[in-house]
Amino acid sequence: MNAIRTRSSFDVRLIVNGQPWELHVPAHALLLDVLRDRLGLKGAKRSCDVQVCGACTVLVDGAPVSACTYLAVEADGRQVRTVEGLGDDGGLAPLQQAFIDGGAVQCGFCTPGMLMAATALLAEDPAPSREAIVQHLRGNICRCTGYSKIVDAVLACARQDSR
Amino acid sequence: MRITRDIALSASPANVWPTLWDVARMVECVPGCVDATEIEPRRRYAARMTQQVGPIRVSIPLDIEVTEEKPGWCLVLKAKGRDALVATGVSVTVRLDLGPREAGSSLRLDAEWRVLGQVAALGHPIIQRRAEGMVDEFAARLERALGR
Amino acid sequence: MTLPRPFELERPTTLDEAADLLRRMDGESALYAGGTELLILLKHRAIRPRSLIDLKRIDGLGDIRATDERLVIGATVTHRTLERAPDVGAGWPLVAGAIRHVANIRVRNAGTVGGNLAFADPHSDPATLFMAFDASVRLVAADGARTLSLGELAHAPYETARRPDEILAAVSLQRWPEGAVGAYLKFGLYERPTATVAVALFLDGTRSTVRDARIVVGSVGPRAVRLHVAERAVAGEPLGRLAPRLDEIAAAATRDLETMRDLHGAPDYKRELARVCVRRALAVATARARGEQADERHPHTIIV
Repeated sequence: MNAIRTRSSFDVRLIVNGQPWELHVPAHALLLDVLRDRLGLKGAKRSCDVQVCGACTVLVDGAPVSACTYLAVEADGRQVRTVEGLGDDGGLAPLQQAFIDGGAVQCGFCTPGMLMAATALLAEDPAPSREAIVQHLRGNICRCTGYSKIVDAVLACARQDSR
Repeated sequence: MRITRDIALSASPANVWPTLWDVARMVECVPGCVDATEIEPRRRYAARMTQQVGPIRVSIPLDIEVTEEKPGWCLVLKAKGRDALVATGVSVTVRLDLGPREAGSSLRLDAEWRVLGQVAALGHPIIQRRAEGMVDEFAARLERALGR
Repeated sequence: MTLPRPFELERPTTLDEAADLLRRMDGESALYAGGTELLILLKHRAIRPRSLIDLKRIDGLGDIRATDERLVIGATVTHRTLERAPDVGAGWPLVAGAIRHVANIRVRNAGTVGGNLAFADPHSDPATLFMAFDASVRLVAADGARTLSLGELAHAPYETARRPDEILAAVSLQRWPEGAVGAYLKFGLYERPTATVAVALFLDGTRSTVRDARIVVGSVGPRAVRLHVAERAVAGEPLGRLAPRLDEIAAAATRDLETMRDLHGAPDYKRELARVCVRRALAVATARARGEQADERHPHTIIV
């Protein structure tokens, strides 16, 4: 039998919000910790820590994942997108503006996760129904807003984009 | 949590008692319990309890104390221990009452137990099921031990 | 919290290599795919493996293959991939529709079908749903492989017939016969379902009589089970005669159902919940069998 290919730390290349990072990470490093502590991107939050609440949602190759329960090594060679990467040139993305215009932010803790989940939805389905938005955001918990303004904001953004 | 069981044994009380009173030997009838050693005769013993509950494996060094004894018919043991690695502690008080029945003995087992920590997070119903299985197996092993 | 203990990450590229690693590590390693359950166990220090064996780079384990008779789903197929696979939508539409509702979008992107079945959390959509398709699983070890039915796999909560040296490599679902109708119902307020029911009605050539059925209830007890009492009650029944009997069939089938107390509820409550959910799922399936629109909406209930 050949020597075991075993590693306790890896060289990885993460492309975060379009920018490449060459990092050396232990096998047990979580993506959330790498994003927050090594790259200084504090948008994704640690909240429930068991991937139920969605506050840590980031996109990996366009798909929402719970960064709190995702090994950093899994993101090697992939596009990672956080809330900091939604706008461009310091400006806000239309979805973010829609949240502000619609009063869909109160304490703001769930907001980055909501925005990332909704961004993934709109990329796939630019004209979602209300029901589709609700189904997609089911895994993102908000304690403040009661959700309806969040859903309204996503709908408003979708309608605006389609004009 | 609690388990009460009436165990039917084919040996008479006079023949069952010596096996129970050989605490080290009796403890090894408990599934997963090994390395029973005597620390103070008839008073203190040590053993190791290893169990797998779902994905979690615990290995608990047990400190066992005989707290009550009525020769020939009653024995009360208290056992406790903790597996620091998986942050799980167990404490159990077992009362054994031996009495005659038509074809041998009836051993009433009354156990009050507590599990704290990680394994408990799986949910007490799951642990209760396991504990009941262990009591059933204990009864079978005790019967076999008496047969020898 | 961060993962408390370092581990090594093995990345075998063949199943043989993985099985050999598993055997050699002798209990010191954990199988890893999506990590949706594993990483949480690690965070809680419930298990302390020295290494993780990543199954995601093994050729074939991430494949979905459909034949005339069955659908073979590799263990590392994510819920999301299963939900969207064209073969699944075409040949097993109930599966595509039901898997859409597993947990949440993030868990569906990372979590795998094999991981769900191997972890054996009693509150599981796939474990219930797949039983309506006479599912079987393939277990592979260094010294051989075997096939078990899904019913044989699940023993108790978090305990399966899989030996420590075996890898659950694939699950296989039968294709329903022509003219079969189905329904899937899940009830719950939490991430994991509180009650899950899967119904399949196999109709005769005239589509007026039920020839055979699969009725499965899960999540309320230690494992998903087929309700043979209910299946026998509907087999051979003309559809018209079934509708008024659903109450009685559901009640008889769940009267002695084994349920389990946990945070989702007490045993009696769950038995009653199962009775109601079985009746509702049967109502939807029989309506569909008659070619009718089944418009049942109930609180905290998803019907596929």
